[in-house]
Amino acid sequence: MYQGGKKAGGEEFTVQLVSIDRAFIFLLAALGLFAPILLLAGRTKRARGLAIALIVAANVVGCSVAALCFWRESHSLLDFSRITPFSFVLEIDKLSALFLLLICTVGVPVAIFAVSYFNRHYPEERRNWMWTFFSLFLLSMVVVVTASTGFAFLAGWELMTLLSAGLILMEGDSVERRHNVFIYLLMMHAGAAAVVAGFFLFLPYSHTLDFLAIRTASAGLPAGIRTAIFLLAFMGFGTKAGIIPLHLWLPRAHPIAPSPVSALMSGVMLKTAVYGFVRFAFDFLAGGPSWFGYLVLLAGAVSGLLGVLYAIAEHDLKRLLAYHSVENIGIIYLGLGTSLLFASHQAPLWASLALIAALLHTFNHALFKSLLFLGAGAISNATHTIDLEELGGLQQRMPITGTTFLIGCCSIVGLPLFNGFISEWLTFRSFLAGFVLTNSKAQIVLPLMVGVLALIGGLAAACFVKVFGVAFLGRPRSAEAEHAVEAPVSMRAGMTILAAACLLIGILPGLLLHPLASLGQALFPGAGVPEETLIIARVIPWIAAIILGVVVTTVLLKRTQRMVPTWGCGLPQLTSRMQYTSTVFSKPIRFVFSAVYRPDRKIERLPAGQPYFPTSISYSSVRTTSYEKALYRPFVDLIVSAAHQLRRLQTGNIQVYLLYIFLTLVALLAFLRFQK
Amino acid sequence: MGLVEIATGKVLSSFSVFLFLTVLLLVVARRISTSVLLFSVQSAIIAAGVFATGFQERLAEAYVVGALVLLIKVIVIPRAFFSLVERLKTSRDVKAWTTPTQSVFIAAAMIYLSYAAVHSYGQAVNVPEDSLAAAVALILTGAFLMVSRKKALMQMLGLLVLENGIFLAALTTTFGMPLVIEIGIFFDILIGLLLMGIFTFRIRETFDHLDVSKLRRLRG
Amino acid sequence: MKMAINVLQALILILGAPLARGVIGKLKAWIQRRQGASIWRPYADLAKLFRKEDLVPPSASWVFRCAPIVLLGATIAVAAFVPVVQPSALLASWGDFFLLVYLLALGRFFLSLGALDGGSAFGGMGASREALVSTLAEAPFLLGLVAVSILAAHADIAGMVTWTLHQNFFNVSAVHILAFTSLAMVVLAETGRMPVDNPTTHLELTMIHEGMVLEYSGPSLALIEWASAIKLHALLALLIALFGPWGMASSGSVEAIGLALLLYCTKAAVLMLLLAVIESGVAKLRMYLVPDFLGVASAVSALAVIFTMLVKR
Repeated sequence: MYQGGKKAGGEEFTVQLVSIDRAFIFLLAALGLFAPILLLAGRTKRARGLAIALIVAANVVGCSVAALCFWRESHSLLDFSRITPFSFVLEIDKLSALFLLLICTVGVPVAIFAVSYFNRHYPEERRNWMWTFFSLFLLSMVVVVTASTGFAFLAGWELMTLLSAGLILMEGDSVERRHNVFIYLLMMHAGAAAVVAGFFLFLPYSHTLDFLAIRTASAGLPAGIRTAIFLLAFMGFGTKAGIIPLHLWLPRAHPIAPSPVSALMSGVMLKTAVYGFVRFAFDFLAGGPSWFGYLVLLAGAVSGLLGVLYAIAEHDLKRLLAYHSVENIGIIYLGLGTSLLFASHQAPLWASLALIAALLHTFNHALFKSLLFLGAGAISNATHTIDLEELGGLQQRMPITGTTFLIGCCSIVGLPLFNGFISEWLTFRSFLAGFVLTNSKAQIVLPLMVGVLALIGGLAAACFVKVFGVAFLGRPRSAEAEHAVEAPVSMRAGMTILAAACLLIGILPGLLLHPLASLGQALFPGAGVPEETLIIARVIPWIAAIILGVVVTTVLLKRTQRMVPTWGCGLPQLTSRMQYTSTVFSKPIRFVFSAVYRPDRKIERLPAGQPYFPTSISYSSVRTTSYEKALYRPFVDLIVSAAHQLRRLQTGNIQVYLLYIFLTLVALLAFLRFQK
Repeated sequence: MGLVEIATGKVLSSFSVFLFLTVLLLVVARRISTSVLLFSVQSAIIAAGVFATGFQERLAEAYVVGALVLLIKVIVIPRAFFSLVERLKTSRDVKAWTTPTQSVFIAAAMIYLSYAAVHSYGQAVNVPEDSLAAAVALILTGAFLMVSRKKALMQMLGLLVLENGIFLAALTTTFGMPLVIEIGIFFDILIGLLLMGIFTFRIRETFDHLDVSKLRRLRG
Repeated sequence: MKMAINVLQALILILGAPLARGVIGKLKAWIQRRQGASIWRPYADLAKLFRKEDLVPPSASWVFRCAPIVLLGATIAVAAFVPVVQPSALLASWGDFFLLVYLLALGRFFLSLGALDGGSAFGGMGASREALVSTLAEAPFLLGLVAVSILAAHADIAGMVTWTLHQNFFNVSAVHILAFTSLAMVVLAETGRMPVDNPTTHLELTMIHEGMVLEYSGPSLALIEWASAIKLHALLALLIALFGPWGMASSGSVEAIGLALLLYCTKAAVLMLLLAVIESGVAKLRMYLVPDFLGVASAVSALAVIFTMLVKR
């Protein structure tokens, strides 16, 4: 399957290119055609099993195709223009290969996990539909990242939105669910409209929407159009990625989706938005003035900080993870902004490094966020709740789930030996390079971003101590948690694969760093390979060795152990209610950052007439993000009032309508008359 | 002789750093006595700077001025403040509008601003940037203290810090003003302190507190 | 030869840590006009704890048992980054101060999880407060180190130390003073010393670090105590190395190393005396005043970073 690749011995292989293309076609056909047909037409369990196997196999093939294109400089191009109305070309270049690898690497374990999950949660007929939508959802994401024409990109983009909305709606039905899906679709379409506008602004200069044509045309774009395209791309892809304040749909849509779908949405779908933004900003526009970089940096910093602050206050596990996605997208945008800033100051080496950091974080986040969502799915499967206040003590009852979830937690916090650390370290490094620039503003802003990222990392650590500690450790806080059983094999297998991947990249980061470095070189001509990317790869294994050595030594030393109940200051028995809950754990941090949270607090004492001898006191604290009140509501009200004004044109009187036509005619004639 | 020269050189090159530290500590201080102590430390540093300048430029006047600074601002005024606090029997808290974290970030911004302003000016005239920036920072800090502290005593202290800054600015740009003017300014401060002392007592007697945010009758 | 000295440095930090604790305790006792325990007492304490048995709550999982081990492992790895007698370290590499901070975070993460696994309210309280303190302490820690790194134009600790060695002690730069102030405040917070946390308190409601280890006993507690002693020693050595490294050996000869070791002990004694004075003279801050303390540290470190730009102009 190599195309002109060199093997270690220096021989050249010129096997036909067609093989990669064939594999790619197999991937597309399996996901888009064979699996759905098998699922919908064949009604037997064997057909479904075959379809699932086909989906998994397609993903594995996708992984290998992407790996070859990524590591071996292979290339693939599929032109379907003959059978589609507009030009529809799929091409895998290095950037697409990275994201294709991301999609397929996450797709395999999630699909394996979904086998048990869908079996337990859905009746027979709906299961087939779920798998169909699942398969098509994966296909749409593959199309988005490999599209090489505007039409293909937008087709995939729309399909992604519709299919995920469909998957959410199939999970259940309620007024609230429909409202949340409505908001999701609304915001996605607004974002898509911005992206479409961005594409169309290229048209006068590139005459087609082929990416190649756009690339060559963008060199001659006037500055105003450039700015407009950048802003449209920023808003459009930002809505999909979930930067603040365009993130409103994230905590509404991700928690109500079934867990494997949440994993795909949070882990993969958000990354397609990052892919789109990278394509536009780095590939098409090839950077821009420095305020582009500052804007993206600001968006990243705000999203990162506010995302993690909102996450800390949550005790619904899935909403918490959704807000963490906002935070990690913020971190990715920090890297992207830094890269744009360096590019605008003619420092291609550091721009490349920052972009490598952002892309690596994208990949890492896909891995550990999917792992965490799958873990949440396993928890909800075992205990039927994802409220942290009802969980506890799950580690003893679900050891594999707990251990893999712990690996996910360590990765998202960015602890050394796990993959999150590598990308955060690279981001820090690119900030540190700021003092190389001569622009004094950048010299200050970039190192100060180190403080911002450090704060974000510290808050994330606090949040995940809370999550893992309250959910898995200590004593169970409810009967369901006490009777939880370990997840079924396929769920465990899916989570273990992702956890192993996190550990692998964490300890041997060189695997991904070298091809990423050459990707950086491709996008920033003139950049060398940043040496730092290689150094970190050498030190981490030593640290792993030291820690492992200490662990082994201390474990081997024999020590006696005795089971003794927890010390409770002499109280006869500690109940599980005496443990720290999730809300209390986050209280100090919420108190310190209270300017961000503005909860509506209600304290109700019963009976109302006797304040000093209450029989019950209830306390509720509801947090509504201020964006809805301050930003969206006025905006929506403005549109609605404008619509009301426009409504007055519709009088219902036919003569008035004829008058409108007459007036338009007159205006056109006047325009013609005075135009010369 | 060489050691003294080195010492003065070091003092002149590094005393702005310590002034910045006193600025930062002043804005986070929670007690009046701590603020007064910091003010006296600040004045002592400025006195050291005066002596060092006098030694370097061979100005005899500078020693007199430095001694005056030492006497009045490091010894007399802080003692007057401490006794005032004692007699007023007011609470020791500074009662600030801003939290310490906000104050210190504002102070950091003020320091950066003073550097930025001095940089654009300093290129035209040959002045040591650090000291002038420290002077501007002191002026801003004095104003900030007056604005953000509710206690009447702190208004006084803010004014004194502001005067410190102006004095330092004069020292940096012109190596000190004529002796007569210096003495006049010192006299001014002492009288001003006396008056403020009297006023604080009157305020306390009339209103039973020293919280200027509650003195709202200054309307037309 | 250099490698052997690097290993020696790490061993000094690791094995000398209980001694550092003992010296601080003795100095505090003298300041407070007491006799105080012997400076070798912490070693005896560790030996005693190792001989005892481990008491484990029945609800605890493997995280409870492994947390002290991971903490010790991470802290030992931290000790391998800090130069003591010569301007190089065992694991010195580019950008290693980020790794140092995050290794400390790794240890703290697992310790907090272990605290929550004990199933008592005190563990939760300690973990929740530690979460607050460590969250706010990370930014000034990194910013202070970044400021020094920018000034030194090196991003590894050994490189920064080498640069400082070539500077004149009396050319105090604003960046260094500000960075030292903020890093000193951060070290107080990270190691759980006054005024952030009282390491000798017996009241659970005032505990932060001690609250997290209430459930541990026997060898596990010994590992945790040792790890926190190593952390204190390593951070003190880091402060000395970054801000006062003069006297470090430039050659590998025994005399140079011996002299450097002696100088290091002197400087460490000075820092420990300062620490003892602060601990004896300052009252512990109320919990919700600690964010103000760390906020000041953040602003000072941010100012240090800004000053690197102003200084280079």
